[in-house]
Amino acid sequence: MKTHRIIAILLRYIFLFKHSFDRLSDAFYWPTIDLLIWGLTSLYFRKFMPDQSYIVLVIMSGLLLWLVVWRGQYEITVNLLEDLWNKNLVNIFVSPLKFSEWISSFLLLGLIKAIISLSFASLLAFFLYKFKIFIFGFYLLPFFIILIMMGWWVGFIVAGIVLRYGTRLQTLAWAAIAVVSPFSAVYYPVSILPNWAQKIALFVPTSYVFEGAREVISKGHLDPNKLYIGFALDCFYLCLSLIFLRKSFDKVLEKGLVKLY
Amino acid sequence: MDILQAINLTKKFAEFVAVDNLSFSLKEGEILGILGPNGAGKTTTIQMLLGVLTPTLGEVYYFGKKLNQYREEILEQVNFSSTYTNLPWDLTVEENLIFISYLYDIKERFKRIKKIAEIFKIEKLLKQKMMELSSGQITRVNLAKAFINFPKVLLLDEPTASLDPEVAKYIREFLLEERKKFQVSIVLTSHNMREVEEVCDRVVFINKGKIIADDTPYSLAQTVETSHVDFLIKDGLKRLQEYAVTKGLSYKIEGRYISVSIKEKLIGNFLKEIMEKGIVYDEISIDKPTLEDYFLEKIKK
Repeated sequence: MKTHRIIAILLRYIFLFKHSFDRLSDAFYWPTIDLLIWGLTSLYFRKFMPDQSYIVLVIMSGLLLWLVVWRGQYEITVNLLEDLWNKNLVNIFVSPLKFSEWISSFLLLGLIKAIISLSFASLLAFFLYKFKIFIFGFYLLPFFIILIMMGWWVGFIVAGIVLRYGTRLQTLAWAAIAVVSPFSAVYYPVSILPNWAQKIALFVPTSYVFEGAREVISKGHLDPNKLYIGFALDCFYLCLSLIFLRKSFDKVLEKGLVKLY
Repeated sequence: MDILQAINLTKKFAEFVAVDNLSFSLKEGEILGILGPNGAGKTTTIQMLLGVLTPTLGEVYYFGKKLNQYREEILEQVNFSSTYTNLPWDLTVEENLIFISYLYDIKERFKRIKKIAEIFKIEKLLKQKMMELSSGQITRVNLAKAFINFPKVLLLDEPTASLDPEVAKYIREFLLEERKKFQVSIVLTSHNMREVEEVCDRVVFINKGKIIADDTPYSLAQTVETSHVDFLIKDGLKRLQEYAVTKGLSYKIEGRYISVSIKEKLIGNFLKEIMEKGIVYDEISIDKPTLEDYFLEKIKK
């Protein structure tokens, strides 16, 4: 792997980020709107349930932590779409860039953008609601890792589908992550889900993070097994998603779609 | 030395054979034109040469090494430009060249970008977004991108399409100059036959996925026996028409101008006979067969 080629792809998307109002609003505007709406809603609820003051913490932590999953996935799929829309894939792949370098740049970009978005939203949550993301202490790091990994593998699956079947399925770039969010139990405990959904939630890594986050808020600690299971599931899915993406890419090379895109 | 070799390249899309057992080579410093009608398999061939389309059968070698085994090493020394691909629209020309320069690990990249911008006359466009450029300007930026890594092999798909004649001429001269100075080997496709004749040392003519000719533009044109004799007739236009009909020659008339198609070796006799028939002309010109005639003849067949 050559660093300069990973930097090249990072630069391509950072330049785009600088110019694109769409990308800027995705990074800053929508998280701000979400924080305002859900923060105020939770403050309003607290008035009726003064003994349930941790409701603000649960909603705020859910909002902020979900941002990490979302950004991880979004950076992969939307940036791939950008190159498809721009017919730029051919310029990238007639260069010596390797598939692994291309993937690595997406991972890095997702990581950087997730840190930026989380930092920005956390600061805003602190100024607006005095919510401190660091209430999770040391757990914040494993939470972040499990969440971003989930964003990555969902992103790779969507990227694989878009590469294989074309931009007619591009809506998945925005919609796919929403499919897993109910099973992630972002704002409510897994136990509130119907039985069949609880079974699915067992296989969704982020459900362990959000359950764990609520445990930390209410008890100050969590069962570390939750983190181990979440991480192990992520590793497994990430491997599968990379195999799928590679196979989709090979299909593109077989069909010669790079030129068409 | 063969810089590029395509050996038995074949590409099938389900039952359709787009490229059928194509073999050709490119020497150091050679400019090779790939010609053929639409759908002949030119673009498919170029894609396989670039490694963005997997051949069903066959191999591509650059510098004696297999492309699919030494892809990274080979593509560092190869580049590509096409009128039909785009660099990212939202980025400025300079930003595009910067990220491309990182892909190829160009040393002193800003110096190189400045130089390449001068060569392709895009200095004033550097701060403009791609989406703001005209198609001719985009073509120049694409060419600048293709030259950024000092390529030893260049694959150019319609390199001068959408350029005005002056800039197209400048680009052709530049390609010849680069070849002379750095022994750059070039594969190009073009629909501009004059350009191919002017620039290419050799032409591979493809039709229905197969090579039907591989020779110099001059030799290919020479295979066409028919020349065109153009007259501005002063007296006897009707007699000339009748004479052409009796001899089975095709002709085109525009006002007092008539262009008769005739085999080159028969021209002498033809001129003698029309003189004997008292046909008087003010102007005469004889157009020898060109690559375009060859192209049209092959397409007709």
